[in-house]
Amino acid sequence: MQLLQDCLIILLAAWMCIDQNGLVVVSYFPVIVGFITGLIMGDITTAMYIAGTFELMQLGVANLGGSSMPNYGLATIIGAFLAIRTGTGVKTGIAVGLPVGMLAIQLDVLIKIINQFIQRRMERLNHEHNWKAMLRQPWYGVGLFGLETGIPTVILVFLGPTAVKEILKWLPAWFTNGLTIAGGLLPVVGVAMLLHYMPTKKFFTFLVIGFVLTAYLKVPILGLALIGFACAYYYFNSEMKKADEKQEVKAAGATNDQGDDYDE
Amino acid sequence: MMSEKENKTVITKHDLRKMGVRWCFMGVNAFNYETQEGPGYTYAVAPALRKIYPNDDDYEHALANHLNYFNTTTAMANILMGATTAMEEKEGVKSLDAVQALKTSLMGPLAGIGDTLIWVLWPTIIGSISGYMAVKGNPLGAIIWFLCNIAFFFGKVWLTSLGYFSGTKLITSLGERISIFTESASIMGLTVVGALVASVVKVTTPITFKFGAVTMGLQTGILDKIMPALLPVLLTWVVYKLIGNKKWTMNRIILLLIVLAMVCSFFNILK
Repeated sequence: MQLLQDCLIILLAAWMCIDQNGLVVVSYFPVIVGFITGLIMGDITTAMYIAGTFELMQLGVANLGGSSMPNYGLATIIGAFLAIRTGTGVKTGIAVGLPVGMLAIQLDVLIKIINQFIQRRMERLNHEHNWKAMLRQPWYGVGLFGLETGIPTVILVFLGPTAVKEILKWLPAWFTNGLTIAGGLLPVVGVAMLLHYMPTKKFFTFLVIGFVLTAYLKVPILGLALIGFACAYYYFNSEMKKADEKQEVKAAGATNDQGDDYDE
Repeated sequence: MMSEKENKTVITKHDLRKMGVRWCFMGVNAFNYETQEGPGYTYAVAPALRKIYPNDDDYEHALANHLNYFNTTTAMANILMGATTAMEEKEGVKSLDAVQALKTSLMGPLAGIGDTLIWVLWPTIIGSISGYMAVKGNPLGAIIWFLCNIAFFFGKVWLTSLGYFSGTKLITSLGERISIFTESASIMGLTVVGALVASVVKVTTPITFKFGAVTMGLQTGILDKIMPALLPVLLTWVVYKLIGNKKWTMNRIILLLIVLAMVCSFFNILK
């Protein structure tokens, strides 16, 4: 039974990375992988608690433009697995999951460098007209990305539980308490990142509106998203109208338009 | 070359679905730093291109064309893929320059919309709803999210057909309007981010002051009186500034925060 659980957890971890790069059904979203981990381990409540903590940390930490970021999904799988298997609870999950999720970034960078060979080989095989082999090359990438999360999970699944129990005996209370505090602080990274790559200066108004509605008026997040949508809708319509007017002026000024940028 | 003119429409709906599924699965799974999504794109369009180019040399040129640098939000690439296939089916090898131009000119704007909607707005909203449910032990949000993702998969496959049938017209006629759309999405995004500062970032202090017989909590007595979530706002501002600084990578900032949490826990400054 335990061995079956171990294998399923490893498969889930390996699939998560492949899925994150392509299908995005399970992806690295902590709550979803956490739910599946809970199903496998037979304790959904503990798994969800750990998953929720990591989910809130991850908000806004998006992997844009192929950048590498802490793998909170891996943190969730390993954290929830160890917490349930060792019966040591949520704090263990966070204490072990977080560093593993951060180390996984290094592997991510490494694999993206190794993957260079796929490009080289595809170019060569294309030139040789060996297309069957050429179209096999991307699958090496699939395998490598599976290893990115698979390998750390194999190590932790088989060595983790005993090691974690030993380590926990030595950990002082301030340390585990510090992790809880860190859990409250870390979401700030995602939030600040969002502020960085969105036009914050231009639309500062809406940032303040969102803050005030939540901090002072305690509007739930879905209601808040609707208010945000209303503002966005209004802006979209008025800007589109302006764009239409501009185009009409242009069309009236000069009759020759340049619509298609490639000729028949 | 002859055969191209005879087969005006060789691409069937089945081919487009297949292309969409191939791309949805492969996506950035063959990601490398040099050409990024190039190999994945090539893998996805190859079977359809084979039908368009029965001539081996033409096929080679077309594949080499797609092996170039390419990177955009994966779902947006589905539309683009449909559009470039339509162009290649119509014009054959003559279209290759135009195909490359279309891809390079649109991957930026499309990533602008795609990243904002797919990687920022949606996971942030559904993530905070399901995340709050999850910390109470409730998996309902996670299940809904999972089901949505399955629906999105079919949506993405459908986008390939949309791109094929109306892609070039659709994308080029949008023109500057794409940026209006992205900006509108950013407005909604920033409203949500404003809420996150107040709700998700949690910093409170247990420090109390004694004025003779009166004890006053720093948190409830002073900070909350000035403004709710004052410490989270300050922390957000500091980290925002750090991210702007090239020397501070994300990993370093995370480590700094963990160390800060440990120190504050040890001296009982934060709780």
